[in-house]
Amino acid sequence: MARTIFIPTDFKIASLNTLKLALNNIQEEKVNVILVYCEEEPDSITEFLFYTPQKTIKSLKSPEFEEAISIIRNRYETVIQSINIELFHGYTVNSLKNFVEARKIDTIYLPKSYALQLPKNGFDPIPLIKKSKLPYQEVGWETNDYASEQVQLNTLFSY
Amino acid sequence: MMLLLFGGSIYYFLYNYSYTDFYKRLETRATIAAKYNFDADKVTAESFKTIREEHLERLTEEKEYLYQIEQNSDLKEVAKKSLLPLHFIRDIVANAKSTLQINDTFYTGIRYNNNEKLYIVVVSAKNYYASHHLLFMRNIIFVAIILIILITTYLSLFFSKHIFDPIKNITRRVKQISTENIHLRIEENNEDDEISQLISTFNDLLNRLETAFETQKNFISNASHEFGTPLTSIMGEAEVMLMKERSPEEYQQSLTSILGQAERLNQITQTLLYLAQTGYTNKRVHFEILRTDELIWQTKEMIDKLNPKNNIQIDFSLLPENPKKLKVMGNKQLLYLAFTNILNNACKYSNNKPVQVTIASSDNQVFLAFKDQGIGIPASEMPFIYDPFFRASNTRNFEGYGIGLPLARNIIKIHNGHLQVSSVVEKGTTVQIKLPLAVIQ
Repeated sequence: MARTIFIPTDFKIASLNTLKLALNNIQEEKVNVILVYCEEEPDSITEFLFYTPQKTIKSLKSPEFEEAISIIRNRYETVIQSINIELFHGYTVNSLKNFVEARKIDTIYLPKSYALQLPKNGFDPIPLIKKSKLPYQEVGWETNDYASEQVQLNTLFSY
Repeated sequence: MMLLLFGGSIYYFLYNYSYTDFYKRLETRATIAAKYNFDADKVTAESFKTIREEHLERLTEEKEYLYQIEQNSDLKEVAKKSLLPLHFIRDIVANAKSTLQINDTFYTGIRYNNNEKLYIVVVSAKNYYASHHLLFMRNIIFVAIILIILITTYLSLFFSKHIFDPIKNITRRVKQISTENIHLRIEENNEDDEISQLISTFNDLLNRLETAFETQKNFISNASHEFGTPLTSIMGEAEVMLMKERSPEEYQQSLTSILGQAERLNQITQTLLYLAQTGYTNKRVHFEILRTDELIWQTKEMIDKLNPKNNIQIDFSLLPENPKKLKVMGNKQLLYLAFTNILNNACKYSNNKPVQVTIASSDNQVFLAFKDQGIGIPASEMPFIYDPFFRASNTRNFEGYGIGLPLARNIIKIHNGHLQVSSVVEKGTTVQIKLPLAVIQ
């Protein structure tokens, strides 16, 4: 039985560290990963016209981000069944619960020390998740120091 | 040309139209004239005449001709009598109506049947509208065309001269810049148009050229300095020894020191030779399939021998599960040399603080990161780090010649990879290498 996990993302490579740490906790199981980006819906009719989530994702996703995902996929080749990026538009606990239920998400992993750096229109789902009383798990290391023992993915990429 | 066609066609169609129109007016007049002249009903004829006199203005030199045509009368007679050309009269009789123009007098004739008698009614007048208004319009069109041509010519000449002013300006400025004053730049105007893009492209080019020039200058002075130092000490040592007779121990000591300096010289020459060889890739290097993680391990073993106090940690937390994703096409010796240089530098400039080596691989590239906690490189000196013999200002306390990094970069370049250095002073330096994965069938 494959597990489905929910990781909030901001399309920055650093946010994928959460995924890496989450995958470290999971062994001998297949995992479907859903990277969720939370964005306010466009509020003008003209923006809604021709609006597709795919287009938004495509415009936010950088080649480095894709490369980093493929690094993780190669690292956990036997564990990862799929990695998908999805948009979430809701503001309420109920919409979040619906989202989680519809995708049969088993666990939500949240970064312990990393704060999402959101682009325009994006919002941070972490307070909402904590409010919703859905089961979640926080992963991360204590310090974000340069000399940290843990290797962070972003070492491999320069900004 | 278009203007001429346009004006001409306006004139031509208006001209045609005014003529047909005028002929039609004449025809109406002829019909009315025929009506009141020949109509039996005198009352109607009278009223026609009144209407005509009251409502129709008289045209310039309007004349009416009324002729009865007998069944067998000669049309020539009529022609002679009326001074109208014969063919015109024949035309009227034959076609019931006809038009004619003699100079600027217009004639319209109609055939009129009344009480089984045949008449022809001809009305003639001068077309004031055609002759004057059209002439006036023609003049206006002519003057307008000439004016437009003049204005367009002036404007196009003006623009063709001045539209290239910014480009001429750039050309002038670029011409002024030569090897002596390569620091000069073209002034940038902060508009987002093509010209300012061109200017900034030029300035970028000049920046790169200036760096290249400086590199060359630095290279010669640095190289002579690097070669000069051991040579001076060899010469000095030898001179001191030759001043007087010495004991064998002293000779031995000095020869050892000379040998050390010569070895140093030899090493510099060797690396320089490598640098030169890797700089020009026209000679194809032998490539084979290599596993990057094995290479890193071998490098670490090598450095362990050279510098037992090193603290290199190899991090496999991102290592792909599939070993195929670690294979690259490369020359073992060269990559080995590059990694040794980078790791050696990392250990040296951090005084053997931990150095972290990360290996990861995406679907088409192998990523290597060498992260040290050393002295770092000042941001202002970052553009020069790939210059041979360049050494950052904070490296005084460390031995080295400044060839390692350029050599490593050349090697990575040969392998179609990328080498990038990012650094924070006093925090550390990270060298990132990306190498394309080998295509394995």
